[in-house]
Amino acid sequence: MKAITLAGLGLAALLAGVGAASAKTLVYCSEGSPENFTPAINTTGTSFDAARPVYNRLTEFKRGTTEVVPGLAESWDITDGGKTITFHLRKGVKFHLLKDFKATRDFNADDVLWSIDRQWKPDHPYFKVSGGKYDYFNDMDMPTLLESVEKTDDHTVVMKLKTPNVAILANLAMDFMAIGSKEYAYFLLKKGTPEQFDQAPVGTGPFSFVAYQKDSVIRYKANKNYYGEKPLVDDLVFAITPDATARYAKLKAGECHVNAYPRPADLAEMEKDPSLKVIHAPGLNVAYWAFNNQKPPFDKKEVRQALSMAIDRDAIIKDVYLGAGEKATTLIPPTMWSYDDKIADIPYDPEKAKEMLAAAGVHAPLDIDLWYQPVSRPYNPNGKRIGEMMQSDLAKIGVNAKLITYEWGEYRKRIQDGEDMTGQMGWTGDNGDPDNFFFLLGCPEGKPAGNNIPKWCNAEFNDLLVKARSVPDQAERAKLYQRMQEIEHDEAPSLLVAHSIVFEAMRSNVTGYKQSPLGTHAFEGVDIQ
Amino acid sequence: MLAYFLRRVALTVPTFLALMFLTFVAIRLVLGDPVEVRVGEHGISPERLAFFRHQLGLDQPLWKQFFDYVWKLLHGDFGVSLATQQKVLTEFATLFPATLELAFFAMMFAVLVGVPAGAIAAVKRGSVFDQALMTVSLFGYSMPIFWWGLLLIMFVSVKLGLLPVSGRIDLINYYFDQPTGFMTIDALLSDEPGAFLDALRHLVLPAIVLGTVPLGVIARMTRSSMLEVLNEDYVRTARAKGLSPGRVIGVHALRNALLPVVTVIGLSVSGLMAGAVLTETIFSWPGVGHWLIDSIGRRDYPALQGGVMLVSAVVILVNLIVDLIYGMIDPRISHGR
Repeated sequence: MKAITLAGLGLAALLAGVGAASAKTLVYCSEGSPENFTPAINTTGTSFDAARPVYNRLTEFKRGTTEVVPGLAESWDITDGGKTITFHLRKGVKFHLLKDFKATRDFNADDVLWSIDRQWKPDHPYFKVSGGKYDYFNDMDMPTLLESVEKTDDHTVVMKLKTPNVAILANLAMDFMAIGSKEYAYFLLKKGTPEQFDQAPVGTGPFSFVAYQKDSVIRYKANKNYYGEKPLVDDLVFAITPDATARYAKLKAGECHVNAYPRPADLAEMEKDPSLKVIHAPGLNVAYWAFNNQKPPFDKKEVRQALSMAIDRDAIIKDVYLGAGEKATTLIPPTMWSYDDKIADIPYDPEKAKEMLAAAGVHAPLDIDLWYQPVSRPYNPNGKRIGEMMQSDLAKIGVNAKLITYEWGEYRKRIQDGEDMTGQMGWTGDNGDPDNFFFLLGCPEGKPAGNNIPKWCNAEFNDLLVKARSVPDQAERAKLYQRMQEIEHDEAPSLLVAHSIVFEAMRSNVTGYKQSPLGTHAFEGVDIQ
Repeated sequence: MLAYFLRRVALTVPTFLALMFLTFVAIRLVLGDPVEVRVGEHGISPERLAFFRHQLGLDQPLWKQFFDYVWKLLHGDFGVSLATQQKVLTEFATLFPATLELAFFAMMFAVLVGVPAGAIAAVKRGSVFDQALMTVSLFGYSMPIFWWGLLLIMFVSVKLGLLPVSGRIDLINYYFDQPTGFMTIDALLSDEPGAFLDALRHLVLPAIVLGTVPLGVIARMTRSSMLEVLNEDYVRTARAKGLSPGRVIGVHALRNALLPVVTVIGLSVSGLMAGAVLTETIFSWPGVGHWLIDSIGRRDYPALQGGVMLVSAVVILVNLIVDLIYGMIDPRISHGR
């Protein structure tokens, strides 16, 4: 009997748990483990989120927007017709401390040059460390854009470009341009463990890195010396929880405060729960159905417009996106500056589509190929299902669409080479600058292997694209982009299908959290009431 | 006994070779170039593609890739993860204690509940308890792990709030060094009051979920084995000698009935590894099962290849140990009879 009582007491203690006092800790249930903590060498949002609390960049995105604001550079001057940018660096910025490393100096121009050169110069001592892949630096065309980056004194860096491109300021605010400590790098090199630079990061950001246990937890501590928006909690914890249902259960049980990527199916229930709140915004992406403008009959804009009218996008958004998407009217989502809300939506009108096809000299039945994406992408949850719905819509106007796909790598290569007749594709924005979307329709990208999937080249559109890169004033640039949206809408090189809607869920007592249009997660200025 | 031991160890060599070959081939059968498949909408220049393919040895003929892979494995080099640039062996060693700890507690649960339940059911054959146990064990055996895990989380953790939803420790209240990687041991070694109990609380649900299938198997196996043994002459003799029923069942019957159960426990290890993949995903348990799933998602072929080899090696090793123990318990086996 005594044994049973003891066992019962043990069980009760087990179920009751034991609490302990703690400082204010914000727990973010993240979706996975980072590849490492150096954004320059990784490619996933999960990894960028994990490194972001630690690092700063020369420029930053204002929290919750795509607006570029000063970061480690307090200010900059653009001269030489947009070809030279002089950065004036912030003084007195301290690097974080680690158990075995304490910086002897403040942040300066050497750290900037060191961080850029690592990704750029093969003779840099860290170029090959941790695999030496700098995907974003290359994807954002930095080697093509940069002529030179030099310091004129400890707090001034001069960046010379090969061609004018003010959009580079947004590139500099991206995660891959995080500025690390040169002193720390050399300390590790001397110690013989340079790869530790990418595993135990030292930065200047709002939180300092404390510890990481793979697939389990990342711990950070508030940086009380931070120059920017102060962290309002003492500790930040990323509880790595890959399963979306488990993340929801943890949020409900109060084991985490903010939840990454809730499942669309759980949203209705979450919204009903008074202890939780759900926020949402359009994602920085677009899904489109490209018509290969170099292949008849898609060289005629009337045919492209007719086929665009034949597709019921409302049905696609309801059935495939399950509500987590909104119809796209222009290439850029509504959260991006220069978005033109006067652009009219293309109506779903199969009858008019039939008439337009006939007027364009295209007689039914018309046989076309419709390539669909073989994998789910952030902007396209199910390419096959969307393809089938399009196929059925097209049949109603006498167009027989043959569905075709390939394995993803092959698909992307072939469609970029223009082998398709029509095909699904999409884009996820990198830096919140409209140029990062509109370049997709620029003439240079229309060559084989380029990102202009419809292979559409419009001289006026392309001239405006080039011009916008050399105009420093944002309002003036916005006007140019708005004109480009009008041209694109009239010419219909592709049918713009949807922007996904990104949801985020958190406990009701979380305050100050701002959803980023860039899909990133940041926790300075966030508090728990 | 020594001959049996050597024979049994020698038998693992062809198993390992077959495993190396199968792992190598299976991963290459997956569609898509491992470099291309990781590239997003930006695409990749032919020069960079060629550079990364060369780095991975994918520009070599298949036979050379295989021999390079075997050669490296024989030298203990399991490769470097594409995603993290860490050695696969290091990642495995970091994560394996979590899996082992979970598997140990799951097996404890299965054995401590399954063996007595099976024995009682056999002794009370045909009773309500017997029938109920057999029905429950059938459910346990056929229960989809994912569903069972979520059901327990939703009911026990979210609805009743009795146990934590997932993870290995309360991340807000406890933070200590983990030299061994076994959370229960590290919690005991730490000076944090309540940490050990908290680590146990986190183990309860995942251990029950992972232990449910082996529990069903062990309970049924113990029951049928006991039924056989209870009719043996030596049990009748023990009873005739006037030994107490407890002693007859506990000492004479159960001890002999447990022999086939030991084999089942050994065989369950591979099942536990398979179950760990799902259990670890549901409970955010940072073990090798979850790591392998993650590697598939990331198309991290070296991690996947090395991870599968290492997990398989553990299964082979455990089966070898079980065979050897079995040989010791029942000398007829080691004598090839």
